[in-house]
Amino acid sequence: MPAPRRFRICCLVVAALAVLFVPGGFTPLHAQTPTVVHYWLWLDDPTAPMFDSLVKEFNASHPGIKVEYQLVPLSEYHDKVVTALAAGSGPDAGRFKDWWLGEFVKLNALEPLTPLIGKWPGRAEIIENLWETGKIMSSGPVFMLPHQFITFYLYYRKDWFAAAGLKPPTTFDDFLVAAKKLTDPTKNQYGFGLRGGAGGQDQWLAFFSAAGGRLVDGQGKVILNNEQGVKANQWYIDLFRTLKVAPPSAPTDAYAQCLGAFQAGTTAMFAHHVGSSVMVTQKPGADSVGVVPIPAADPKKPATMVTMAGNVVFAGSKQKEAAFTFISWLSEANATDKWSSSREGQLPSVKSVSKLPRYTNNPFFKVSLDSANFAIAWPPLPGVGYVSAQGWQANMQRALVGQISSKDMLDEIARALQR
Amino acid sequence: MRSPGRFSAEAKGRHGRGGTWVLPLFLLSPALALLLGVVAYPICRAVWLSFHHFEILRPDLSQFVGLDHYRDLLTDPVLRIALANSGLWVAGVVCFQFLGGLIGALILNQRFPGRAAIRGLALIPWATPSVLVALMWTWMLDGNYGLVNDLLVKAKILSRFQPWLAQPWSALPGVILADVWQGVPFFAVMLLAALQAIPEDLFEAARIDGASPGRVLRHVTLPLLLPTILLTVMLRVIWTANYMDLIMIMTGGGPGYSSLTVPLYAYYTAYKRLDFGSGATIAIVQVLVLAAVMVFYLRQLRKNEVMVQ
Repeated sequence: MPAPRRFRICCLVVAALAVLFVPGGFTPLHAQTPTVVHYWLWLDDPTAPMFDSLVKEFNASHPGIKVEYQLVPLSEYHDKVVTALAAGSGPDAGRFKDWWLGEFVKLNALEPLTPLIGKWPGRAEIIENLWETGKIMSSGPVFMLPHQFITFYLYYRKDWFAAAGLKPPTTFDDFLVAAKKLTDPTKNQYGFGLRGGAGGQDQWLAFFSAAGGRLVDGQGKVILNNEQGVKANQWYIDLFRTLKVAPPSAPTDAYAQCLGAFQAGTTAMFAHHVGSSVMVTQKPGADSVGVVPIPAADPKKPATMVTMAGNVVFAGSKQKEAAFTFISWLSEANATDKWSSSREGQLPSVKSVSKLPRYTNNPFFKVSLDSANFAIAWPPLPGVGYVSAQGWQANMQRALVGQISSKDMLDEIARALQR
Repeated sequence: MRSPGRFSAEAKGRHGRGGTWVLPLFLLSPALALLLGVVAYPICRAVWLSFHHFEILRPDLSQFVGLDHYRDLLTDPVLRIALANSGLWVAGVVCFQFLGGLIGALILNQRFPGRAAIRGLALIPWATPSVLVALMWTWMLDGNYGLVNDLLVKAKILSRFQPWLAQPWSALPGVILADVWQGVPFFAVMLLAALQAIPEDLFEAARIDGASPGRVLRHVTLPLLLPTILLTVMLRVIWTANYMDLIMIMTGGGPGYSSLTVPLYAYYTAYKRLDFGSGATIAIVQVLVLAAVMVFYLRQLRKNEVMVQ
């Protein structure tokens, strides 16, 4: 190659590198660099394309911000966020459960969102009482922006109930009559799919509340191990221990086992939320499955549990405003509707979306939304994260297999909650 | 044999001229840095953590608590359960893996058609990822529609399905069964390699002398396999004591604490309760117990060697 030509090529390469890397030298290119927001989330079905398309839509409509997301399984989410934040490599924003709020706020790891919410036009659209799920105290700041929530209800085998001449259970008495009548161990058939394994604390809280138990009083004092709580918990334990209306595998059954047992015709009733409604209508089939609110000990005092999966901005983020722009966009009508109507669908926190016919005409969504009026959430105590991750499961299992009493179990959980 | 000249030159290099250490040290420094970073630092950090109350997201609030974590563990009933479970877990897994591996190695050492293919296929459990093994065995042992229950009921060994992983007495044995299935090929391959190194003449001589197959196994095969057996058992004890993937996925340590082992307890304490000080203390207790077992084992090993000599 002749020397002058080589020299010209070198000059071109140097010029190209300068364009790319000299800071401030070429302002127009530099100014176009969008702010990158790192966002973490879990999805019940990680292969669902819904979220990826939402991120693409956001990035296309917000040229100044680029969202990069990472999927983390729910079971590992808490640990991974904690260790990443400790290492200084955490995300700017993330999907978040109300379970973890008390713990993370105590550690100053969450950004108070109230000032940013004040400037957000979409705030009036959020269902009013759901703001409480993102706070530690009613009068305090909002740390978690409401997004998708669930309330627990009860699936039952419509066909089995009809054949046995049973009515859909609305009270504990109805529930027990049906559970006993539909239990036949010789056919490997049980009345109720009790979930003693991973994640079973939400189902437990739904029944515990419906039996009259309460985790905290009006002042936030832990009272779950009082007389009423012990009685409510004993009722739940007895479903497995003395009445034997739950499968023998109940102490370790997690979501997959409970759903599988209901689908396979092993159990007649199963408590869950809209997240599984598509699957139960596929098998055992829409005609075979009915849904009712969680039955109550006292029909005048219905109760169930509600849990919010919202969004937070982490205190260590350097892109707080951009991160809030993204999470608030997720809580607006368009994105909420797309999320809720996908197979990841949970209940929308946006008023106008919750009134759409696709939700009000869907029996699963309707029962869930109606149940929200009397649903009880985990209190924002620092110990809830540990109780929901491991503490409840270990102690519930010990109670189910008869190693500890109802009172001992609740004392352990009370201690862990107040940690 | 070394020549005296070379020996004296080396000695001079070691003791006479300090400068000769520079180049070897320089060449070793990347490996040394790696070892210090990935082995020494975490150990020192764990020891440091065990003497502190550590707030992971607020390290500025961490406090020195002396021996408090160790004192708490002395009265911790869950640690006692976890230690007993760990002992049962290691003993059960290693014994059955060894027996299965020995039988497998003796079979695979015979001449039969398709031996090469079967030797390859026998490695499949060892090559299967732990998570997959755990999920597979969880469903096979499922109390409602698991394959194991189905076979046992059809064979009329059981009258009804058993929730193997949901009963305190059968949860840990269920997980041991899964790990035995996964680990047998490791022992089989190691022992097979050692078997093939035994000269055929020895077996032939024993047979000519009229030794029965049982006596050949007892007096020829096993003594010559002993060094491999001892080494493999030692490695396997250490690995099994630290191994928690299967238990975490299959039972989560439950029901209750029925299958909770020490590493799983340390993990839950550190990452679920965010009590890194106590978590590190539990891990150190495990290291100390394991070190004591290994020292005892190695001493026995040395005694055996002396006796053999």
